[in-house]
Parts: sequence; structure tokens; C-alpha cells
Amino acid sequence: MRATRSARTLAVAAAAGAALLLTSCAGGDLTSSSGDGGDDAASTWNDATADLSGVTITFGGGTAGGPLDGAIEAFQEETGATIKRVTYPDPYEQNLQTRVATGDIPDLASWQPTTSMLTALQAPANLLPLDDAPWLDSMDPAVRDIAGFVDDTRYAAIVSSPSVMGVYYNKAVFEQYGITELPQTWDEMLEDARTIQAGGGTAFVEAGGAQWPTQWAVQMQLAEAAQDGLWDEVNAGETAFTDSPIIDAITTYQGMVDEGLYNADLRTATFEDQSAHLFAGEGAMALQVNALLEQLLTQYDAQEIDDTLGWFPISAEGTVATTIPDNKNGIVAFKTGDAEREAAAKQFLTFLMTDYYPTYIEDGGLVSIVTDVPNPDTVPQLAQDIAASLGNSVGSMQSLAIANPDLYINLASLLYGEMTPEQVADATQQQFAQLAQAQGAEGF
Amino acid sequence: MATTAPAPARTAPAAAGRAAAPAARRRRAVSYPSWMLWPAFAALLVFFLVPTLLNFVYAFTDWSAFKQGFGFVGTQNFQRLFADGSLLSSLRVTLVWALLVALLQNGLGFVLALLLEGDTRVNRGARIVFFLPVLLSPLAVGYVFQALLRPDGALNGVLGALTGSDVSIAWLGSTTWTIVVVSVVQAWKWMGLSMLIFMAGLKTMPTDVLEAARIDGASWWRTLWSVRFPLLAPAVTFNVATALLGSMNGFDTATALTNGGPARSTELLNIFIFRTFGQGLYAQATTMSLVLFLTVVIVALPVILYLRRRENVL
Repeated sequence: MRATRSARTLAVAAAAGAALLLTSCAGGDLTSSSGDGGDDAASTWNDATADLSGVTITFGGGTAGGPLDGAIEAFQEETGATIKRVTYPDPYEQNLQTRVATGDIPDLASWQPTTSMLTALQAPANLLPLDDAPWLDSMDPAVRDIAGFVDDTRYAAIVSSPSVMGVYYNKAVFEQYGITELPQTWDEMLEDARTIQAGGGTAFVEAGGAQWPTQWAVQMQLAEAAQDGLWDEVNAGETAFTDSPIIDAITTYQGMVDEGLYNADLRTATFEDQSAHLFAGEGAMALQVNALLEQLLTQYDAQEIDDTLGWFPISAEGTVATTIPDNKNGIVAFKTGDAEREAAAKQFLTFLMTDYYPTYIEDGGLVSIVTDVPNPDTVPQLAQDIAASLGNSVGSMQSLAIANPDLYINLASLLYGEMTPEQVADATQQQFAQLAQAQGAEGF
Repeated sequence: MATTAPAPARTAPAAAGRAAAPAARRRRAVSYPSWMLWPAFAALLVFFLVPTLLNFVYAFTDWSAFKQGFGFVGTQNFQRLFADGSLLSSLRVTLVWALLVALLQNGLGFVLALLLEGDTRVNRGARIVFFLPVLLSPLAVGYVFQALLRPDGALNGVLGALTGSDVSIAWLGSTTWTIVVVSVVQAWKWMGLSMLIFMAGLKTMPTDVLEAARIDGASWWRTLWSVRFPLLAPAVTFNVATALLGSMNGFDTATALTNGGPARSTELLNIFIFRTFGQGLYAQATTMSLVLFLTVVIVALPVILYLRRRENVL
């Protein structure tokens, strides 16, 4: 009798507990720990070096170090605050996003200031708006509003010149094969590539082992279409990845691979292999973003880089650059619900973009995006060429599309012959539609 | 666990008797009051039962990173997943990998257990060495092997030195064979554990049975296959079940080693789930993990039932 009663009590307790947990989760706020904003006024913009003794905030970032480490140290010294670095392993975005989804949020984090990636963080719920940031007026107007917005609210601080897709070329190899003028269209670039191949050289160096670099060749071909509103059409469900011009760009990429214009180890080569091959002249060109330059800057100085490599933008019909701000270009501040920490996080951004900015770009060899701060000597000409291309540029898929499907993983399968261009386009479209639908986008 | 649990039950009444407690109190002390189970049950409830139940709930919703709250969408997630071939292809990869790991890990573990059975000084040292990989971080194992298996890595270097030619095999670059390579690495990591369990089984065999076999003139091989191996059945059950089911939930080593590549040929279901979750499609990811959960149950039940039946002869 007693045993049955105990068992029944247990069962009731279990059911009640389960029900409680289920309802609290189901009704509640699953993705943000601090609720729905409205209390934004609570965190203020402090002076860059205001005293923050006793305040501890966390800074989420990838595994690689960089000039931000110096900024964090200097900020701690100047203000008495403590900033803890929280490192998320690669794939960085995925890992941070997963943490955020479970309510484990840092105060600050390096983040791609693109619409698709900010949407993925549920910016309006999780991020502090930065519309009234004190440093905005001193920023280069060409860069200031290039990214960082969701629905006209600024959620990311752009802290360095946004990354651009372009062609890094080895000057000596171009010279060896008699290429004296830089190509002005995609086809001209392919002609040069064939010249190099005919002479026994390797035209392009691909890093298929890393997978993510495979998308640049496709995206760069879409620059003019993007200017004509391609991604708006994709966002509305009017144009699909399986339609021209996207499928054409994928097919062209496969053609380049089939023609043998790439390095022999294109499938397995890593990103580090790619930069090493290119720098050593084992390949003439690499289609890459600023990550390649950053990688080279960890090994060589500005002069060595400029002596060896050059850079040019390219698109299907011309030289329109495609911008893809990466996670080194942007920092986001999270709504933690703690006014003191939120203010400290914002103060760090002010400190970085004002008092510390000259040191920051000097350390990182970065192009200045603050009008009255000149470029440091540590900036290679190549970096300045990249920054200059922003004048004639258009956003990438990541910047302009509402979702960022795993196009690159499908393209890596293309390299192995496991997928046809049609299958790549189809799989990417399916995932895009799934993401768009999850967002409640119309047309899906 | 099974051997230690009854111990307090035997000592409790003795203690109560010494204190000369009233009969009623002694009776209460004899059996466990059920409330003593509650803390354990609460932990079980919160950390195991509820998540599993939630897994079933969320699979029928449109929970995602892109909005607050969620609504129920019926079986839409399941329909989409099965219509799209990705889930099935990842499931196939997962089953192949689990099978390979279970075979390799236990095969090698068994051979090691036989080789290192004797209690010599060398064997004791060798056991420790073979057990060390079990203690290593799975991610570290993945990254180390990734470096070793590169086309210009150490393995090819050694092969090149042995053959006197330039070897540049892309061990992790074959859509057919990389899954085998990844399984071998996983089996290498865990074979020490299988070895230990097999060894425990071998060392606790009734000596009279082995002696009888020897007196009957059975050879070493004959003894192994007709006497010792059947007597190892409980160890086999445990090893095969844990290896098979553990690797169906595999993630860490494979992620570090290949991240699912090349061309998704080593994309275990958990890697796919992680990727989908990372995309912000939480409901879809939950649906996949539910499918994985059900698959594990479907595979596990017959395997364990079969292996348990083998033990019945003991």
C-alpha cells in the first residue's frame, strides 16, 4: 500500500516537473536572456577612458589572436575593467551562435556585420543598438554605412576596412608569362589563366580542403547581377540559385576546374597551403578575401608582401568588387540586461574607435576607416588597393541575402565530382528556402 | 555498480540494532524510504527525461534562431527531411562508421587483450601505453591525425622513406576511403578500453573449466574458440554495444579530423545536426536528433537482445 502510494507520488511529481519545464520553455523566451529591449536607455555611452574598476566583461572571439588583444590590454589598463577573452573554436560563427541560442552570451564579440549573420543572432532581441555611437561622425563615409544593419538599426560596429573578394596575384609569375596588364573582365582573367597553363604554370590556387574559399569564384561573378538587384529577387523567392546567373557562375567555376586551371591539390589544400603556394609562386592567382592578406601579414612585412603580390577586383563583365565584411571587421555588443556591463561593453567600442584607433591599425597593419587617422606605415599597398575598391563595390550573398546557405560545402562536393552544378544550386536553394521560411520571409 | 549497491543495506540494520532503537524505527531503517530516491530521480528527470521528451516536442515546431517563441507545424519537419536526401545520406555514413568502429575497436582490443594477457612487466607497461589514447581529448586526437595524414604529413613521409619514393596520398581526401581512415582513428583511440574489458573477462574465467580443457588436450586455439571466447560473452555484449551505440553518437574526433569532408562523405549525423543547429534551424536539428535517437534504439535493441541471448548459455 505504502509502496504504491510512494510510486504514485513519484509519478505525480515527475509529471508535474516535466509539465513545469515544458511549459516554462514553451511559453518563454528561448533565445535571449534579457528580454525584448525597451530598456536600451539603461546603458549609456561613457567616455572612452571612464573608470570601470571592478567591472568584468567577456569578449567572444575565434582562436586566432590579433590587434584586438592589444586593445583589450590597453583598455584594462586605462579603465581598470577586466575583459575576459572567450574563445570559440572554428567554425566560429556556428559555435558562438549555438551558445547564444542557449542563452550563454558574451558582452562583446567579433562578428560578421552582415545582415544575414546579424539576423542569425536575432539582433533586435540580443544585440545593443549602436545608432548613436559617438565615433560614427569621424568615420570614412564610404565605409560607415556599408554594413551592420538589420531593418535600419545599426547593430554592429565596423572596426576595420571591410573584407573584399578579389584576385591576389604573384607579380613574378605574371611577369614570367608576359602578363603586363591586369584583366578587366572575367573572360580576360581566364585568357591570362590559359596563357599561364599553356606555359606549364598553375593559374589558380584553390583551398578546397578548407571548403569555404570555394564560394568566392562563384560570388565574384555575380557582382553586376547583385548591383541589378539579384539578391533582392532571391530574397523574394523570384530568382533561385538554380536560375541564371547563379547556376551559370557555378558551371563556369566547374569549367575552370575541369580545364585544369587549378593547383593539383585543389581538393585537399588548406587555406594556409593556398597562401604559401601563392607567395612561393607555385600558382599565379588566388581568389580570396582579406583573410589571405591577414594570413600573410602574420609572416611577412608590408614591403615583402607588396614586392611579391598584387591585387585586383574582378567581376563577370568588369571590375566591380564584392564586399564581404568578416568577423574581424565587426564587433557586436550583447544585451545582457546588466546596465553596467552593457555600458562597459559600449565604452570598449568607443575606446577602440577613438583613443586606441591609431595603435590598433598600426598593430594590425590595417587601413584606416577613421577620417583623421592616417594609414600606418605597416599597411601594404595591397591593402590600400583593396580598400580603394570599396568605391566601386557591391555586397556579397552574405551581405545582401537574408540567409547564408552553405553554398561552399556544396561547392566542395562539386570539386570532388560528388555533385553537379545543378545539384549544388538545388541543394543551396533548398537550404536557402528553409532558412527564409524559418525567418518568415514572404515568397517561401 | 552492481556489486557495491547492496552493501549499505546489509550494514544499516546492524547499526540500528546496536543503537537498540524501537522496533518501528528499525523497520524503517531496514528498507530505503522512497524519498531517498528523489534527488537522484530529480536529476534524472531534469537532465535526461525532460530533454528527451522536449526532443519529441520541438521536432514538431518551427523553433528557430530567427524569432521569439515558436508554433507547432505538425510533421512538416519530418516530411522535408526525408524528401531531402541529406538526412538519409548522413544516416548511411553514420551506420557505416559505427559498424566499422565497432568491428575495428573490438577486433583490435581483443587481439591486444590476448597479447598482453600475461602479467609480465613488459605487458603491464604495454597495457598502459595502449590505454593512453582513451584518455586523450578526442579533438586533440582528430587534429593530430589531421596533421599526420596530410598529403605532406608524417605518415606519407615515413612511407616515402620506406619505399624510397615520393608518397603524397591524400588520406583524408577520398570520398570512398576517408570514412575508413576516420573509423580507424576512432578505433585506435578506443581500442584500449575494449582491451581492458576483454582482459578483465579473460582474467576472471573459472580456472577449473580451463584446466579441464587442458586435461582434455585442447590446443590453445581450440581453448580460445570453444571455451574462452564463449565465456567472454558478457564482455563482448558490453564492448560491442558501447562501441556501436557510442559511435552512432560520434562527433568530436570526426569533426576535428575532417569536419564531415571530403564532399560530406564523413558527415556523421551529429555533424549534420550541429551544422543545421548552427544555421539557426533548431527545430530541424531537433528533428534530426530525434531520428538519430530512434535509429540508435532500433539498432541497439536487436543487437543487445542477440548478445544477451548468447550470455544465457553461461
